Amino acid sequence: MTAAADPGAKPRWARHLPPSHPHGVFLVCWLLGGLLGAFIVVPLLALAATPSAASLAAAARTADLWQALRLSLEAALLAAIVAGLLGVPLAYLLARSDFRGKSLVAAIVDLPLAVPHTVAGIALLLVLGRDGIVGAPAAAIFGLGFWGTLAGIVAAMLFVSVPYTVNAARIGFEGVDPRLEKIARTLGLGPWHTCLRITLPLARRSILTGLTLTYARSISEFGAVMILAYYPMTAPVRIYTLFVGSGLDEAAAASVMLLAVSLALFILFRRLAFGNGIGAMGSR
Amino acid sequence: MTAGIVAVENLSLRLGAFALKQLDFAVAPGEILAILGPNGAGKSVTLETIAGFHRLDRGRITIGGREVTRLPPERRNIGLLFQDFGLFPHLTVAANIGVGLRRPRRRLPRRSLAELLADLGIAHLARRHPAALSPGEKQRVALARALATEPDLFLFDEPFSALDAQTRERLRGDLEKFLRSAGVPAIFVTHDHDDALALADRIMILRDGAIVQSGPAATVFAAPADRFVAEFVGFDNILPGRIAGRSGDVLTVAVADQLIDVAAANVADGCARAVWLCIRAEDIDLHPSRHAHGAGARLAARVVVLRDAGMLTRIVLDCGFPLQVCAMARHVREMGLTIGAEIGAGLMPGAVHVIPIGEPATDPVAAFNDASEC
Repeated sequence: MTAAADPGAKPRWARHLPPSHPHGVFLVCWLLGGLLGAFIVVPLLALAATPSAASLAAAARTADLWQALRLSLEAALLAAIVAGLLGVPLAYLLARSDFRGKSLVAAIVDLPLAVPHTVAGIALLLVLGRDGIVGAPAAAIFGLGFWGTLAGIVAAMLFVSVPYTVNAARIGFEGVDPRLEKIARTLGLGPWHTCLRITLPLARRSILTGLTLTYARSISEFGAVMILAYYPMTAPVRIYTLFVGSGLDEAAAASVMLLAVSLALFILFRRLAFGNGIGAMGSR
Repeated sequence: MTAGIVAVENLSLRLGAFALKQLDFAVAPGEILAILGPNGAGKSVTLETIAGFHRLDRGRITIGGREVTRLPPERRNIGLLFQDFGLFPHLTVAANIGVGLRRPRRRLPRRSLAELLADLGIAHLARRHPAALSPGEKQRVALARALATEPDLFLFDEPFSALDAQTRERLRGDLEKFLRSAGVPAIFVTHDHDDALALADRIMILRDGAIVQSGPAATVFAAPADRFVAEFVGFDNILPGRIAGRSGDVLTVAVADQLIDVAAANVADGCARAVWLCIRAEDIDLHPSRHAHGAGARLAARVVVLRDAGMLTRIVLDCGFPLQVCAMARHVREMGLTIGAEIGAGLMPGAVHVIPIGEPATDPVAAFNDASEC
């Protein structure tokens, strides 16, 4: 697709520029931003450089480390799926309808971001544990336990990471022009079809961004997960035990593995979600 | 395509602090109605109510001879177009049009997608996405998409307001051709007078959710019913006057200390009655002499302001009251007009529209007698 045949439009590069370029401002922003970038990248590079080839090879041969990694990835995927199923409808409500207490609901959605994760873990344990008001009936009826199980890990991950999905999806829905939905209705689509064929696809990017963030945040979760499920061990918990029990070198080797796998997945996921052309919506 | 009447009867609806008040109008098959009004008058709400997006408190809506008052938008059989044409950005042109073709509850369309694309000259665009289309192409795709559902009524909300003047004029021409050949009634909302005059057969003016005037476009623009409409349709001079006499169809009106003769057969009305005289700036002639020859009034005037506006010159005259005039710049140059010049302002009787103020006299005979006694 070549440039739009709209002779009146400003060139793309000119749309974001202020009338005069504030070079001094940009310079200062570059310096401060560069400092921040270095703050993020340098420790990760240092981590990657720390373990010797031998200890990396040893870590890669450790079966329980791979198990922990796999568990982390699976649990995070489940958490992201549940976040999508429960969070996207809520985001749609927050974006498209007005109801009493809407700002309260929005604040509740953000609450997990403000709760320390160990605190979240303990709170979840109280409700989901064997004697908890949800945990007891779940165990009795479905045989579903949360303490020391995959379900518990998923619950802990979901609690701390679902706000990313809800908030991103909400922004996505709010960005869909309501007039497009109206037109779809006049073209004969009912409310459900309009939602599924127009609104949801148009909010797709934001929803996928939210799910990606939820997924990444779930993989990295340590505090809440550890309280609900010390065993089976997720990768962050396993790395912590290595750090405490075996020392920095082994912990660093395991960390590099986790970092490499989760970065690779993160990049793959983003490419799958945004990479291949979805036509006019993508940037040229 | 069902050729059927579109009727809105006694439509009333409350939306927060805003209300639509007993709107009553109809659109005949093939007719184009323009709804005009200032911001907040309820134009878009009226359109959306016809489309089925608001629940009425009272009233009845008939589209294509079928009552649709209680039907949801998807079952009203209408085509809706917005200012940026509202193409679905994630779908190709063909898929955009296809949305309307695959309707579960509708009869099969008479035309296939390929025929529609060919008819509107957009077959070559079928696989493109909306972002890669020019405004003219977007309009044609939006029309094709609406047409695909064989609507009984087209609704347009500010169809051209996002466009530059040239494109606007071109698309207006395209749209008119399209609507005339489709033969489907259309209602469009605009606040642009040119759009309304160029496209509409009839105009309806809204204010605060109520109809203040409706009628053929030319009539509404030439003979506004009240001061609000006169201002809205662009009368530059709205002068307070008093009826000073009548002979036949010619009314003599006193404005400040000048007497102006106007043709006002519509005002069969009493002596000393207060009126508004409405005169467009471009309907006033400038003469070097203050004395009239032939028909029409000639006012003694002095030039107060001369403002160059390209091809035209905007002039303010002092005739005992201020009078806005708009003349060809060439004409002003040839007359050698300067500030302070004493000239004559000519008014053909037909150029002045008279609006009576307040309730008219109840008895036309008494009114006539009153008038003749002046």
